[in-house]
Amino acid sequence: MNEVYRKWGCVVRYENGKTIRVEEAGEAIDDGTFFCAGPLGSRVGLPELDAADVGRTSFRLQERCRTEVGDTTIERLIVTSGGARHETSGVTWMEESQRVHLSLVRAPLRALIDLASFDVEIIDTIADALARAGGAREAPSRVRLAPNVTAALLPSLVGELALEQRGGGFDGKGHAIETRAVTADPPPNWYRPSYSMRPRRAWFNLRALPFGTIDRSVPRAIALLGPVAGTTLRVLCVDGDEIFPTTLEVSRVAAVSPDAPIWYPYEAGSFGVEMML
Amino acid sequence: MNQPLGSGSRGSELQIPTADFRPPEFFAIASRDELWLRGKMTESRLMHGQARQRGECIDATDARDESLADACDDATNAARAVLEALHEAQVRMRVRATREDGTEAVETTLTIAMGAVSVVTTPADAMADYELLRSLVAIKRVASLRPLPIVWQNGSAAVLLHEAIGHASEQGRESIGWPQWLSVDAPLAIRRETFRDVPMPRMRYLVATQKGAPFALPEKRIDVHLIAGGAYDPVTDVVTIDVVLSSAGPFTIRRTRSEIAASLAGATGNPVRYPGVICSREGQKLYVASHAPLLVTGPLA
Repeated sequence: MNEVYRKWGCVVRYENGKTIRVEEAGEAIDDGTFFCAGPLGSRVGLPELDAADVGRTSFRLQERCRTEVGDTTIERLIVTSGGARHETSGVTWMEESQRVHLSLVRAPLRALIDLASFDVEIIDTIADALARAGGAREAPSRVRLAPNVTAALLPSLVGELALEQRGGGFDGKGHAIETRAVTADPPPNWYRPSYSMRPRRAWFNLRALPFGTIDRSVPRAIALLGPVAGTTLRVLCVDGDEIFPTTLEVSRVAAVSPDAPIWYPYEAGSFGVEMML
Repeated sequence: MNQPLGSGSRGSELQIPTADFRPPEFFAIASRDELWLRGKMTESRLMHGQARQRGECIDATDARDESLADACDDATNAARAVLEALHEAQVRMRVRATREDGTEAVETTLTIAMGAVSVVTTPADAMADYELLRSLVAIKRVASLRPLPIVWQNGSAAVLLHEAIGHASEQGRESIGWPQWLSVDAPLAIRRETFRDVPMPRMRYLVATQKGAPFALPEKRIDVHLIAGGAYDPVTDVVTIDVVLSSAGPFTIRRTRSEIAASLAGATGNPVRYPGVICSREGQKLYVASHAPLLVTGPLA
């Protein structure tokens, strides 16, 4: 049986000095062996995008990094606001999104920041710390991971740590995303990042289940200094007045905070809370 | 146009020719992407759209340009005839018909894979590169990985120079010294993958040539045949090359540009077309035709 998926979307994106507005619609048809995708040639009503909000956020981040953090520079800044309507399997749903991707550099260090809102306070903290960072050190024996670091790590901990998929919304095949324990079995839902890509199974909205007690006195990893590689993290670490890059091998999680989690756009989504290794 | 590298044997500076970096006001594209497995098409994607730039703002939609769509269909049909002969491989065919202001172009690339190894080619060279790939996957590893001189076969040095010279130039890094016998032509132009993308300076092609280079084939060496991928990090100035086929098996090189420049020991012959550079930067994948002579470097593994 043919599976038909349609998407109408509009996005405003600031990318390294340019602002681009893209409007398009596409359709994908999959009969299980043959997949084809192409433009749909139609339009539907979509949420009005606030291009000015994209501009304000990108301007603010550039000003912040230009005027207050010394030799730290922006290598890459992408600020996106988007709206989309999806239709498949008799289900129709709307989606609105905001994304910020920032690569901050103070050679030879590069901090990578990905956010799912224009609340960019965290970037101030990371930019300040990067500007004051010293030389690399051995990993502390215990360390806390900030929510943005935890969220990036969670997809690598499937099958290793008690995780749940948080329910809400629909997946790339129009199936409801339900709250359930994450196991090593194939995920029940399908991730479709674009109409032109074949969907693949994925866990959505990962969240580590709280346990243990976070020791607020131990050093805190506040930012990624490179993409997560399995369970290896290169991070910027704050220990009192000391700020340093280090590499963490995540072999044991000692505690997960019960605080309200924040959603981050890693893979099919993951919730970050403070975690202690 | 080849650019001389200066007068000193070391310490000369590469002059990368810079194109007019003013982006076109209007860009349109029609593209077809197909995946063929053992002679059968399993995936097909059509994409078309237009982008109009005013100052720093770009308005883009998926509007269809009939002329480009026809050109894309014609090139697709021509390439499919070639695909039928490549029945033992997985082939990704990509046709891009583009218009930038008044200039139209059609580009067809075929990525032919056998197992974990692939080459990137054009319909004109597809059969020759398919046979090359078949012969290369049959090569046995004959040595263990040791710090030996590397002989870059099949034009594969083009990938090393693509990363160390081309990408460094794209990203505005300062020049470093290269041997005077080496010339590299790697002109930049404003390019983009799709109508959704922000255009940026990218290499159009890379041709490395040698003139009067020293050359002695090391008796003990690693022969590199195919590269899986590469990268240049402008923050650390480190070039990464993932070798997928060599006489010592797969391995990865991570060296600074200066270390690579210092390792160039010699070269011989005319530039050879390397079958395989799909260049990805900022998520935009573009074909960059690449040529280099047989090149020898010191141990880099």
